[in-house]
Amino acid sequence: MTNTMEIREEELVAGFDEELLARLNDGPEWLCEARRAAFRRYAAIPLPTARDEEWRRTDPARFPFKDMTPMDRYDAAGALTAGEWNAWFDVVATVEGDRYAIQDVSGVLARKSLRVMTLAEAAEQYPERLSPYLQGQARGVPPGKYEALNEAFWTVGFFIDVPADTQLEKGILIRYINPPDGRIFMPRTIAVVGARSRVSMMEHFASADTARFLSVTAREVYLDESSVMNLTSLQEWGKSVYHLSSDWGFVARAAKLNWVAMHFGGRVSKMLLGCDTAGEGAEAELDGMYIGTQKQHYDQKTLQVHSAPKTYSNLLYKGAVKDKAYSVYQGMIIARPGANGVDAYQKNNNLVLDDGARADSLPGLQIDTDDLKCSHGSTIGNLNEEEVFYLRSRGLNNDEARKILLKGFFEEIVQKIPVEPVREKVRERIEEKMGSGGQ
Amino acid sequence: MSTTETPSGLMDEYKYGFVTPVEEDTVPKGLNEDVIRHISIKKGEPEWMLEWRLKAYRWWLKKTEPRWAHLTFPPIDYQDIRYYSAPKPKSDKPGEIDPELQEAFKRLGIPLEEHNRLEGVAVDAVFDSVSVATTHKKMLGDLGIVFCSFSEAVREHPELVQKYMGSVVPYTDNFYASLNSAVFTDGSFCYVPKGVRCPIELSTYFRINALQTGQFERTLIVADEGSYVSYLEGCTAPMRDTNQLHAAVVELIALKDAQIKYATVQNWYSGDKEGRGGIYNFVTKRGHCRGERSKISWTQVEAGSAITWKYPSCVLEGDYSTGEFYSVALTNNRMQADTGTKMIHIGNHTKSTIVSKGISAGESCNSYRGLVKILPTAFGCRNHSQCDSMLIGGQCSANTFPVVEAENGSAIIEHEATTSRISEDQLFYIKSRGLNEEDAVSLIVNGFCKEVFKQLPLEFAVEAIKLLEMKLEHSVG
Repeated sequence: MTNTMEIREEELVAGFDEELLARLNDGPEWLCEARRAAFRRYAAIPLPTARDEEWRRTDPARFPFKDMTPMDRYDAAGALTAGEWNAWFDVVATVEGDRYAIQDVSGVLARKSLRVMTLAEAAEQYPERLSPYLQGQARGVPPGKYEALNEAFWTVGFFIDVPADTQLEKGILIRYINPPDGRIFMPRTIAVVGARSRVSMMEHFASADTARFLSVTAREVYLDESSVMNLTSLQEWGKSVYHLSSDWGFVARAAKLNWVAMHFGGRVSKMLLGCDTAGEGAEAELDGMYIGTQKQHYDQKTLQVHSAPKTYSNLLYKGAVKDKAYSVYQGMIIARPGANGVDAYQKNNNLVLDDGARADSLPGLQIDTDDLKCSHGSTIGNLNEEEVFYLRSRGLNNDEARKILLKGFFEEIVQKIPVEPVREKVRERIEEKMGSGGQ
Repeated sequence: MSTTETPSGLMDEYKYGFVTPVEEDTVPKGLNEDVIRHISIKKGEPEWMLEWRLKAYRWWLKKTEPRWAHLTFPPIDYQDIRYYSAPKPKSDKPGEIDPELQEAFKRLGIPLEEHNRLEGVAVDAVFDSVSVATTHKKMLGDLGIVFCSFSEAVREHPELVQKYMGSVVPYTDNFYASLNSAVFTDGSFCYVPKGVRCPIELSTYFRINALQTGQFERTLIVADEGSYVSYLEGCTAPMRDTNQLHAAVVELIALKDAQIKYATVQNWYSGDKEGRGGIYNFVTKRGHCRGERSKISWTQVEAGSAITWKYPSCVLEGDYSTGEFYSVALTNNRMQADTGTKMIHIGNHTKSTIVSKGISAGESCNSYRGLVKILPTAFGCRNHSQCDSMLIGGQCSANTFPVVEAENGSAIIEHEATTSRISEDQLFYIKSRGLNEEDAVSLIVNGFCKEVFKQLPLEFAVEAIKLLEMKLEHSVG
C-alpha cells in the first residue's frame, strides 16, 4: 500500500501508524483509499519541533500523544443528555463519551430539507456528495502535521449537507461532550452550504475539569455561491485538556461567512482558523476571543487568504490573560497574485492583567498584488486606569469597575453571537474567569 | 587591481557605479586562519585582537547560514571572496592621500582635502578594506572626542576597544556577525567623553571598489554619560554583474543621559533590471541604552543593494531610556529587502517608537520584520509602531511580519500597519494641477516618507529625496 514511499517511523505521531490505520479502515473502499492517501501525506510531513518558527511559542512536546490512546469506535445511542440549548436549534448532533446521537428537533431532517449524518454514514450512503470535500479541499495553505493526522485518522464527526436555496430557521448544533479520559479524541466536521442558502451552525466543546484527554479537531465549511453561514464555536474544555484544532472556511462567489470562535478551556491549545475567500465578491467576518487564567496556554493562528479579486475580510480577535497564562496570536493576511481590489483588515487586542501573564501578538501581511487595501492593528495593554477611576468615582469598588470594563472589552465579540442564551452563557463565563482566583 | 569599466550608457541610472583604477593590495580568495592572521598583521594588531578574530572564526565554522528571511538568493561561496583589499600607498609620498582616491571620493561628493572639506561634517572615508582619511580630527581631538578608523582605535585606544567591542553584538551573535568578527577590516570608532556634545555631524563613507571583495566593516560608537553625537553613514559601490557581500557590524553604546543618533543612507549598487549583480547587504546593527534616560535613534534610508537584510535594534536597559527606529526601504526591479527592528525593553519606563515605510516597485519584494519585547520585570513600558507599505505596479510584493511579546501587565503597546497602492484620487488631483505622472508619484512618495526624512539632517534629507526620485524613475506608467 505504500510501495511508492518509505514510511519513516520516527516522523509519525506516537501511536498513529499503519497498524491503527488498518484497524480504522472498515468503511467503503473509496474511503479506505482516501484515508491511505491522507496517511501518506501525513507521514511525509516531518514532526514539528519547538525549533520550527510555527511552533516556537508552543512546544509540540507539550501535547501528550505518548501517554494517551486513540479512540477507535463510537456507538449510536437513542438519545443522550439534553443540551441546554437544544430548543434553539433545528438539529442537534451530539457526541458524548463514546456514543453519538442526532436529534431532529424541529423535523427538518424528516422533511428532507437537509442532511445531517455521521461521516461514516455519509461515506456509505452519499459517497459522491462527501468525497469532494473530505480531504481538506477548503484549506488555503498546505496542511501541517496534525491537520494531516486528523485527515487520516478521524474517528467521529458529522457531515452537514445543505442543498441550494434552503433557509434554516434556527440552525444546527453540534455538541462534543466529555470525551473519555486518557484518550485522543479526533472529530471532523464537514459542512456544505448550497448556493443561495442560509444557515447557522454552532459547535460546542465541553468537558469536566477532572478529565484529562487530547483533542485533535478539524472543521471545514464550504459556502457555495451567494450563500450565507453564521458559524459559532465555543470551546469550554476542562482544565487538563490538550487541544489542537484546524478550522477552514471556503467562501465562493458572493457568499458570506460570519464566524465567532471562543476559547475558554484547555490546558495547552493550539488553534488554526483559516478562511479562503475564493470567489469574486466573497466576504468573511471573523471574530474570536480567548481568555487565559492560571497556567493556560493559547496559541491562536488565523489566516485570511484572498485568492480572488474584490474579496473582503475583516478579523477581530480579542484576548485577555491573567495569573500565569500565556497567549499567542499569529495572524496573516495573504493576498494571492491577481487578487485585485481586496479589502482586508485584521485587528488583535490583548489585555495583560497580571505581571506574570504574557501575551504575544504577531499580526502579518503577505501581499503579492498592488491593487488592494490591507491593514492590521494590534494592541497590548492593561485596563485604562482613567476609566477605572471614573467608574470608582461613581461609587463602584475596584473589582467591580474592572469587571465592568472587562465585560465591555469582550462585549464587541459577544454581540456577534447569533443565539441569545449562548450570549448570556458567554457573558457569565467571562465574568467567572475574570473573577478573583481565576476559573 | 581592477580594470572593469562601467558602460557609460548606464551612468544615469546609478551615477556611483564607476570603478577607480587604483593598485590594490589584496589577499588570495578564500578564508582560513592564515588569511585572518594575514589581515591582523596588515593592520598591525595586538595579539588579543587576533585571538578574538580566531575565536569568532572557529565559532563561525560551526554555524550555517540562516535562511528564515523572506529572501531568495543562491548559496554564497565563502571561499570565492577576497577578504582583504586595500589601495596600495604611493611609497614616494608617505602620509598623503592618493590623488586617485581623493578624486574618487570627490566624485562621490566627499572632498577629503582640508581646504575643501564639508562644513560641519567630519568624514571617515573607507575604501574597500581600509580607512583612507578622517577629516576634522584636530577640532574633535580638542574636545576629547575620539573619531578615527577602527584599526587606528585598536592601536591607539586599546583599552576602549577592549572594553566595548563585542559587548553589544558578541561574535556568537549570528552567522554574519561572527564572520564579520573574524575578518573585519576597517570601519569607524567614536568615543564621546562625559558631558560633551559633539558640535558637528560625524560620518563614515563606505566605498566598495575592488572586484570579488567582501566588505566587512565594524563601527563602534560609545557615548559616555551626558554626551551627544549624531552619526551618518553613506555607501556606494561600482556596477558589476556579480554579487558582492557586505556584512557589517555596528555597535552603539549610550551610557547614562547620553544620546546617539545614527543615520544611514544606503545606496549600494542594486543590480540591473534583470537582477544581475548588486550588493548583498547583510548587516547587524544594535544599540545598547545602558544608562538611565539614554536614547538611541536609528534612521535609515535603504535604497540600494540587491538584498538588504538588516534589523537595527535597541536594547533598552537603563530605566527611562528611549529607542527609536525610522526607516524608509525602497525596492525596485528585482531587489529584495527584509528589514525592520527589535526593541527589547529591559528597564522600567522605557519607550520605543517604530516608523517604517516600505515602497515596492517593479518585481521587487519588500518585507518589514520587527520585534517588540517587554520583559517581565520592565514596568511602565510604552511602544508605538507604524508600518506602512506602498505598492507601485502589480508584480511587486510587500510583507509585514511584526512580533509583539508583552510579559508585563503595565505595558502599553500599539501596532498598526497598512498596505495599499498609490491612491488614484491623489494621483488624479496632483496631475490635474499640471504635474506629470512621475512627478506626482514622487510627490506622493515624499509625503509618505516625510516622517522619516524629517529625522535626517537637512543635507541628507535632500539627498535622500533625490535618491528615491532617481530610484523610482521609469517605474510608473
